[in-house]
Amino acid sequence: MEKIILDRRTMIQSLAGGAGTLGLVSQLSAEQPNRPHHRVRARRVIQLFMNGGPFQGDFLDPKPLLEKYEGQRPSQADLRTERATAGLLPSPFKYSRHGESGLEMSELLPGLARHADELCVLRSMYTDNPNHGPALLLMNNGSITPTVPSMGAWMMYGLGSENENLPGYVVLCPGRPVRFSILWNSAFLPSRYQGTYINHSSLEPEKLIPYLRNTTIGREQQQRQLLMLQQLNHRHLEKRASDRQLEARIAAMETAFRMQFAASEAFDLAGETAATREAYGKGHFANGCLLARRLAERDVRFIQVYHGNGQPWDTHNDHHQKSRELAGTMDRPVAALLDDLKQRGMLEDTLVIWGGEFGRTPTTENGNGRDHNHYGFTMWMAGGGVRGGMSYGETDDFGFKAETDPVHIHDLHATILHLLGIDHERLTYRYAGRDFRLTDVSGNVVNKILS
Amino acid sequence: MSLLLSWAVLPMTVADGMEPDAAFGRAEVEFFESSIRPLLVKHCYKCHSEKSTPLRGNFRLDDRQHLVAGGDLGIAVVPGEPDASLLWTALEYADEDLQMPPEGKLPDREREAIRKWIELGLPMPPSRDQSRSRGKEKREPGQLHWSFLPLANSSLPPFRSDEWIRTGIDVYISRKHRQERLRHSPPATRRELVRRLHFDLLGLPPSSKDVSDFQDDSSPDAWEQLVDRTLASPHYGERWGRYWLDLARYTDTTASWLVSTGKAHLYRDWVIKALNDDLPYDQFVIMQLAADKNPVANPEDIAALGFLGLSPTYWKEPRLAKEVIREIVAEEWEERIDAVGRTFLGLSIACARCHDHKFDPITTRDYYALAGVFASTRLIGRSLLPPEEALVVEKAHLQVGKLEGQVARLKEEKEQGPEDQQRLVSLQAEIKKLRETTPHYDRPLAQGVDDASLYVLDDGPDRTRLDYRVGESRNLPVFLRGNPATPGELVERRFLEVFAGENAQPFQHGSGRGDLANSFFSDSPALVARVIVNRIWMHHFGEGLVRTPSDFGHQGEHPSHPDLLDNLARRFLEHGWSIKWLHREILLSATYQQSVTFDESNELSDPDNKYLWRMNRRRLDIEAWRDTMLSVAGILDLRMAGSAEILGGAENRRRTVYGQVARRDLDAVLQMYGFPPPISHSPKREVNITPMQQLFVLNGEFIRQRATDLVRRLQPPKDKFSEEIVNRAFQLLYQRPVEKVEIQITREYFQHSQEDAGEATYGRWHQLFQVLLAANELAFVD
Repeated sequence: MEKIILDRRTMIQSLAGGAGTLGLVSQLSAEQPNRPHHRVRARRVIQLFMNGGPFQGDFLDPKPLLEKYEGQRPSQADLRTERATAGLLPSPFKYSRHGESGLEMSELLPGLARHADELCVLRSMYTDNPNHGPALLLMNNGSITPTVPSMGAWMMYGLGSENENLPGYVVLCPGRPVRFSILWNSAFLPSRYQGTYINHSSLEPEKLIPYLRNTTIGREQQQRQLLMLQQLNHRHLEKRASDRQLEARIAAMETAFRMQFAASEAFDLAGETAATREAYGKGHFANGCLLARRLAERDVRFIQVYHGNGQPWDTHNDHHQKSRELAGTMDRPVAALLDDLKQRGMLEDTLVIWGGEFGRTPTTENGNGRDHNHYGFTMWMAGGGVRGGMSYGETDDFGFKAETDPVHIHDLHATILHLLGIDHERLTYRYAGRDFRLTDVSGNVVNKILS
Repeated sequence: MSLLLSWAVLPMTVADGMEPDAAFGRAEVEFFESSIRPLLVKHCYKCHSEKSTPLRGNFRLDDRQHLVAGGDLGIAVVPGEPDASLLWTALEYADEDLQMPPEGKLPDREREAIRKWIELGLPMPPSRDQSRSRGKEKREPGQLHWSFLPLANSSLPPFRSDEWIRTGIDVYISRKHRQERLRHSPPATRRELVRRLHFDLLGLPPSSKDVSDFQDDSSPDAWEQLVDRTLASPHYGERWGRYWLDLARYTDTTASWLVSTGKAHLYRDWVIKALNDDLPYDQFVIMQLAADKNPVANPEDIAALGFLGLSPTYWKEPRLAKEVIREIVAEEWEERIDAVGRTFLGLSIACARCHDHKFDPITTRDYYALAGVFASTRLIGRSLLPPEEALVVEKAHLQVGKLEGQVARLKEEKEQGPEDQQRLVSLQAEIKKLRETTPHYDRPLAQGVDDASLYVLDDGPDRTRLDYRVGESRNLPVFLRGNPATPGELVERRFLEVFAGENAQPFQHGSGRGDLANSFFSDSPALVARVIVNRIWMHHFGEGLVRTPSDFGHQGEHPSHPDLLDNLARRFLEHGWSIKWLHREILLSATYQQSVTFDESNELSDPDNKYLWRMNRRRLDIEAWRDTMLSVAGILDLRMAGSAEILGGAENRRRTVYGQVARRDLDAVLQMYGFPPPISHSPKREVNITPMQQLFVLNGEFIRQRATDLVRRLQPPKDKFSEEIVNRAFQLLYQRPVEKVEIQITREYFQHSQEDAGEATYGRWHQLFQVLLAANELAFVD
């Protein structure tokens, strides 16, 4: 492919009197407004989004006292959430210690247990609002109101993309999470920083990325067509002397042409071995994790994988059964993803984040369900500059509310940006008379979890 | 209008915290520099100085004015009286909740030094920078920022009669050229002009006949006539109305939780019609905030309320505590204030929600005076019928609702006797009759507002309710630090003090929406006129005279030509706020009619073309570009107004302004081309050029279909190259004949490529037309 493109370039250059396009790409990528502020620990981020909100007590925050007080509602557990809840409902899942660190993990995470020493468990997360919409917005955009850019857009603004043939910020969801595209929008930041949403419920690369392939003409013919287009464009440009915008569109046209093949290749799981496919298992989320690994290998900056359409983890009833099923589709691919990253030496500079927009109540709703819980929940991170085999912070005796070392979403964002080499207080954008930033006016880096 | 010109400068209210530096003796300042400043730097400045982010407690110790002004906790230091000063209490660790510096009490010696400094009256050298703005001019206390001043009474400056100058605009532009040693560019060709005018005013290409007619028109006022004809086209409103909708964060789809049945497009269509009718700008504004209170409004003008009626709303979950809901409601008010403040006044008033505006003379009291207006305004569907008829329809709706309730209850009953059956039949007949005989029963409502004040109250122990009190209005207290849970003093609803004076008259009528709109024109006409004149200028040239079109405050940019902006604004007022007058004035100028040339010496001294030494080349926005492709393909559907249609559908051939804009799920192509997300006010279109867009150009169905349309329209010979067809395509798409080189390029393509089986026998023609549609020449206007 490289050769053909060079030939074409030569032809274009000869026709356009030497006005080649090679220099343009670097000129475009020189537009980055920011550079890292300090040492970069993570070059890319994979966020595994458990939309709907998993229950912390089922996975990484054991609370033996729940059994003692089962069915009761001690004053400590008498917190108001979205819906009315009754007495305490213990988690039926057994915990044991894993790895050299002896991290306590439940039986729902047999695969992840292999990686106990890589996990940095944040047990004391909390957020501001127990509704899905505002909580998703806070987690993704740093505000409960839908008017500000997403975290990924801030990353792109701060660091740019490292692969000019692929979008730098990709959102994989087999369907749509609540609030949909607002969760990856760029709001007042330039629109090139918005996330590229990809519904991977079908795995054909042409269906994954809009307009990726030309369905009517072959590659050679398209190349000839592009040659004609660029010849006309160069002729047009030549008569107008220098113009950055005209040049930029000519360059973007060439990138798009290459992208057709680069992106097809990146999104094509057919190249993976049967053993790899087996390791990740079946299903949308497994495919999402595998795609995330492929994109990470190609230096896509930020990849979000939503666990499913809508809010799969929203277990208002039949919680135990659903939690077990959901964990069954989650644990294996996530563990396989960590295996792959480790094996490729990429975990060192890839930050993996796991969690929902909030947690769930240790008290019961409808007898067998759990309500949203913004007072306290668990997330974990791995790789990219965080300490493994540790837990940070604590919830109360029942796992309801973050008590020791609470970590707000702003703190989480400050920490993520820190790992990417960005000072969250310095990554600002002037809009409507104010310097905006992802963390609004707060946020503290959680220093104790840095490796 | 002459009143406006003598409009008085009002005292600046923010001056409270801005008392001039008291003069101190040299010894006192030296004492500060040697004994105090090092302490402050060491212990305080990390959190309490210009460079602190966040600035803790909104309190700064690095210049005297801020020090004296205090912070969130109020006055911190009383000069001369340490024992009455909070600062001293904090240093003494006398109050458990306020101990500074937090890392430990200062040694006695250091505290004594600070005590002495307070006793001396806080001597400090005058600060170098009195605001936190970067590189901005120093603001003297009491002196207003340029945009708050009345319009300069500028008659045209003297000028040499010069062949280049055509209108007053050119006098100012030309003077600046001389000052900056720039040379204006030669005039554009007639073809360029007619294309520029069509895209600029209508967002549509001219026909090649439009071009040749103008080229052949030798009358001296040919351009003027062309401008007038084009301005009179109904498609003008579609182009310029869309710019307005960017500001209004227009959406066709509102949140699912709104019970309103109103039709958003009625607002869009009202804006388009108002612009086509050249509704004076003051009326245009008053209608959008308060058509329901405007004595000269027609019933259809109620649709104008969509500016507020389509505001974003945020979900207020009734199961959450009222404190949480109050916070969300406060966010909604902030959004309205932001949109209104930036759209009409070019001011970021929302900044004053938590603290007095850091840079502009806007206080939190001002903010809550306006927030009260929105706390007294409810989003609701409104009828466009005359009030009497609307009342009849409303009654009929209520009655039908009641009857339907009865029907539902009857149907629920398990055992229905013959009597019930009969009753059911007669009820249904009654409903049918009401529906059919009430005139305009099904006439859609517009998304509007009415006056109803909102209270967020407990609804039993576990729920919260929104209590709208119809016809009532309420004043809000200042929320300390923006938090509804910490109310301060109550503020009456009124206009900003910087314009209305310290004893601003409270709003008298209902929510005060009408009073607010009127205040713009009675109290701040100069600013309002500058802001809209600048917006219109921006869309003609690509950049405004002020390049921050929605920020005319201290943080915004200064005008490149302040006298021109004032002169235009003043004459705009004198011409009855006529937007079409303003367009004409701009279009007839020599400045506008320059070509897009490249000039090395000009480029070196003014690379951004701030001083307009040439015209700017414009990339067509997504609307104009899509419309142009449909237009040259000969299939553009020019029907105006009506419900929005999904854009993605290949069957949608209407102008893009009628394509559906969904707030939460914006069309992917619109997003890709930088169409403003309709979540908040959007002052400027960003020109973004990305590879993803080019994938759409290379492979998208939309452009392929237009190429198919062109094959149908131009009917090229099968399997054969034809110069004539290529020439006709160039005429159609670019309104110019094809050049030899271009014939050569296209012929070569024909010779070197094989016919693909897929695209019947027109494959190569199809691909060629697609290339012409994809080319830069179609996407840019000189």
